Amino acid sequence: MKLFTDSVFRQLVSRAIRADYLENVTGFAWLILQPLVLLAVYAFVFSTIFKARIPDAGPGGFVPYLAVAFWPWTAFSEAVLRSANSVSTNAALIGKVAFPSEMLPLSTVTATFLMNMLGYLAVLLVLDLLMGAQIHWLGLLASLPVLFLMYLFASGLALFVSALQVFIKDVSQILPPLMTFWFFTTPILYSSSILPERFATVMKFNPMSWFVERLRDFLLLGNYELGYRDLLVPLLTLLVLVAAFKFFRRFSAHFEDFF
Amino acid sequence: MTPLVRLQGVSKFYPRVHHPRERLRAFVSLMTGKKSLEGAEVLSDINLEVTRGQSFGIIGENGAGKSTLLKILTGVISPSRGTVEVNARIAALLELGAGFQPEFSGIDNVRMKAALLGMTKSQLDQHLDQILAFADIGDYVHEPVKHYSSGMVVRLGFAVVAASDPELLITDEVLAVGDESFQKKCIRWIESFLERGNTLLMVSHSMYIVQKLCRQALWLHDGRSRELGDVFPVTQSYLAYHEERSAAERLQRRTQRGDSGLYRVTDFSLPGGQGQGDRNISYGQDLDAELVLESPDGLAPVALFGIMRADGTPVYGVSSDYDGIEAEKIDNRHFRFRICFERLLLLPGSYSIRGHAMDPQGIRLCDTAELRFTVAGESRELGILRLPHSWNKDA
Repeated sequence: MKLFTDSVFRQLVSRAIRADYLENVTGFAWLILQPLVLLAVYAFVFSTIFKARIPDAGPGGFVPYLAVAFWPWTAFSEAVLRSANSVSTNAALIGKVAFPSEMLPLSTVTATFLMNMLGYLAVLLVLDLLMGAQIHWLGLLASLPVLFLMYLFASGLALFVSALQVFIKDVSQILPPLMTFWFFTTPILYSSSILPERFATVMKFNPMSWFVERLRDFLLLGNYELGYRDLLVPLLTLLVLVAAFKFFRRFSAHFEDFF
Repeated sequence: MTPLVRLQGVSKFYPRVHHPRERLRAFVSLMTGKKSLEGAEVLSDINLEVTRGQSFGIIGENGAGKSTLLKILTGVISPSRGTVEVNARIAALLELGAGFQPEFSGIDNVRMKAALLGMTKSQLDQHLDQILAFADIGDYVHEPVKHYSSGMVVRLGFAVVAASDPELLITDEVLAVGDESFQKKCIRWIESFLERGNTLLMVSHSMYIVQKLCRQALWLHDGRSRELGDVFPVTQSYLAYHEERSAAERLQRRTQRGDSGLYRVTDFSLPGGQGQGDRNISYGQDLDAELVLESPDGLAPVALFGIMRADGTPVYGVSSDYDGIEAEKIDNRHFRFRICFERLLLLPGSYSIRGHAMDPQGIRLCDTAELRFTVAGESRELGILRLPHSWNKDA
């Protein structure tokens, strides 16, 4: 937690936000507009063209069902993809100043999550007010730990891939298709209840499916029942984070040799 | 007193990682904890101890490992072998701009650099005016650093470092890009920094700056410590090394002359030295030289003595016939000349003296012998020799 009060870390986060999100002409407005425009596109494509129906979608139909899971996923995948290059693009900094280099992937993940969560709030508001989704605002409170765990999970993966990318440059090429694969094997566009039995069992091992399903439970259905997976995934997340930290620390001393 | 910095047996090895396959192999050997074999050792077995209040100059040729050593000292890279101990608040300026990001404005980079140097926000706010005044780059601070000249980048970087109040300052060859007045400002600042009892470690190719700011010096050669000690002997032998290198190149270009061999040098010596090594005199001492020439026809040849700096720059030459000197006849064919340069005014450094055999008319140069000698001593004077002078003399 000391990390968040560190002024170098704060600078890095604010830099990442300014460089990636606020340097455009439209700046901050675009940050809110972009998810809303995207939401409108999805609404049109899936509700009007495909007439998608999900059995347990809740009152708002398919679009809120998709949107509630889609934005956290975007934050997650964007955070991991962006951070993959965060160490190697800052080679000049690492080679000249001694500072804990894990701040680079962590600040990228933090900036991405902060920005995307703002967009997420905007999307939830619009869903509730304009699309009749009846968001359970109490569920938002319950979602916070889920989103935070997701952030930690992304941080763990970011530490791992950003360190690996220094040694094996192919990582940043392999990662996007992997994330796409992960996207389609996570019940974001569909519900795991429509899957055949054996796929549904396999899906249980995908931590991302827990994240998106819990978010839907909390925000759309107001279902706060807890099960064994609610203990398992947080534990797994912490395990990934600790292991990734160990991995990063083990290899960060050798980064400079490989630039 | 515990030293501020202690390096013991420090070596740095860079694995070869140009090719993806080499990268992978190096990575695998890292994972398994084995040392990979291919690569370059840029520093080997460096031992260094720096105590509070010392000022160390690190000198050496390009690629000798100076910057790598500084990076190890600042903790940017870790040594492959050996231990590094640093017990001080360090501020480092390595290469240009030391971690400035070109896309961001000067002021943003100042904030970042200050945070990296461990300054809190309030400390920075307190010092910001002082930093901007020191850097003195006007409204450019609000422009992205990519639009800066290299001098402006260094100005800003040095200004932040100066404001961060370090105990140990580590600089690479950064002063070289600043203009004259900024260099002076930096040197003044470093001098007062040292007067306050702080410690300096700097890399420079300017022996003038090294001698001015440093008391100790380390000469790195091919990644090894070649000489370590007081700044004057170390810088002098470093300069002598360079002078000899350029002299050797010149000598190779020159075709062998005076091979007619009529009048030859049979013996040339500098009496007073011990053994066969170079003659070592201290500043202001006499230099004796003895030349024995052989003449095939029994006529006394003319002797010519010349002194030059180790790089071949001529300093002084004199011949026996100009001065009307007769040779001492040893036998029918051999003649001896002895000369004494009294209270030699040559500044400390490395020199050589040549003895030439000329024909009896003093027209043709027939043979040459060369010996080296060193003038020892400490001096901040410039040039080759001291001209007698006096200051503020009343007319």
